[in-house]
Amino acid sequence: MSTVPDTISINNLFSRLSRHPAFLGALIGILAAFSQALLISAGGPEAYGFCVACHTRDLVNGMTNIIADTSLALAPISKNAILPVMSVVGVLIGAFLSAKVHREHKIKRTDNRGYLVYFLGGFVVLQLAMIFGGCPYRAALRTGYGDITALVFIITMAIGVIVGTLLMLRMAEKEEH
Amino acid sequence: MATGILPKEMAVIAVPLVTLLLGVLIGYLAQRSGYCSIGGFRDYVLFRHTRLLSGYLTLIAASFAGYLLFWFLTPDAMEHFFWALTSNPLTPVPGAPAGLNPAAYLIFAAIPGFFVGFICMLLGGCPIRQTVMASEGSYKAGFFFIGMCVGSVFFASFVSGWVVILMRALGFGA
Repeated sequence: MSTVPDTISINNLFSRLSRHPAFLGALIGILAAFSQALLISAGGPEAYGFCVACHTRDLVNGMTNIIADTSLALAPISKNAILPVMSVVGVLIGAFLSAKVHREHKIKRTDNRGYLVYFLGGFVVLQLAMIFGGCPYRAALRTGYGDITALVFIITMAIGVIVGTLLMLRMAEKEEH
Repeated sequence: MATGILPKEMAVIAVPLVTLLLGVLIGYLAQRSGYCSIGGFRDYVLFRHTRLLSGYLTLIAASFAGYLLFWFLTPDAMEHFFWALTSNPLTPVPGAPAGLNPAAYLIFAAIPGFFVGFICMLLGGCPIRQTVMASEGSYKAGFFFIGMCVGSVFFASFVSGWVVILMRALGFGA
């Protein structure tokens, strides 16, 4: 009995799985539910397992509150805990590790105008996401939790993407002529 | 008050640790797979590629399955599971925090949804994709992330109050 081919095929399977978005989607869904089951005693809201916009808000406002002694609004779970939720820090670390390990880390610079556009883009997207109460990921979690307004968000987001894509195609066609 | 597996004294310490570990795992796999919700819809419209879209649709299905599973295992932690049946179906999940009527929350979902989709499509990625690209060394994605950080202080200081005042003035108060 040789175990080597088995290990290789398991490694191969895992490397294929880890590169498929559906695997990560399933993982986020299950882990978000698990983290709510584990941590909900610390405070609400529900369906808050993973969200880039809300967790950035909690991280920045929570750390600002601790350092500068302000009282900016944040979710109860981060207000009650010793430190705010850290998943965005985790995403930054995890993506950096992965990029370094697989040699995909590459510094890409643009001009100052590009930086300004992206800065304002991030600023505006966060305002909009917080008015709704979540980024596309929390919208998915809330839809799974049975929230109809989150389903409305996903549908209008898809419409927004379709309109943006068609607009870009139209502009690209005009440049060609 | 919902109670989870950990008692409150332990949960308040576990919050940063558990979310950090969760984030590292998600960030690692998101970098591997190029995970993006906006990109899923975009690739489908442009090229009829379903790879990224399958990731986002799986997330919705898996979150339902996960919440259902833990609703069976730890019903106390999932106080309002299946929100539409256990609460007012047209309010968002945290309840009605700003004291507005259900029509206001549908507007809060529809208009930001459209513009989040539109802006993120033009910038080439949803918030998680921008965060991952910032870690991969893209300066402009890094500025997107800095914009989100500055925006969160601005939102808590000004915008959240303005939006509620505006909606009350327009007659959406509860």
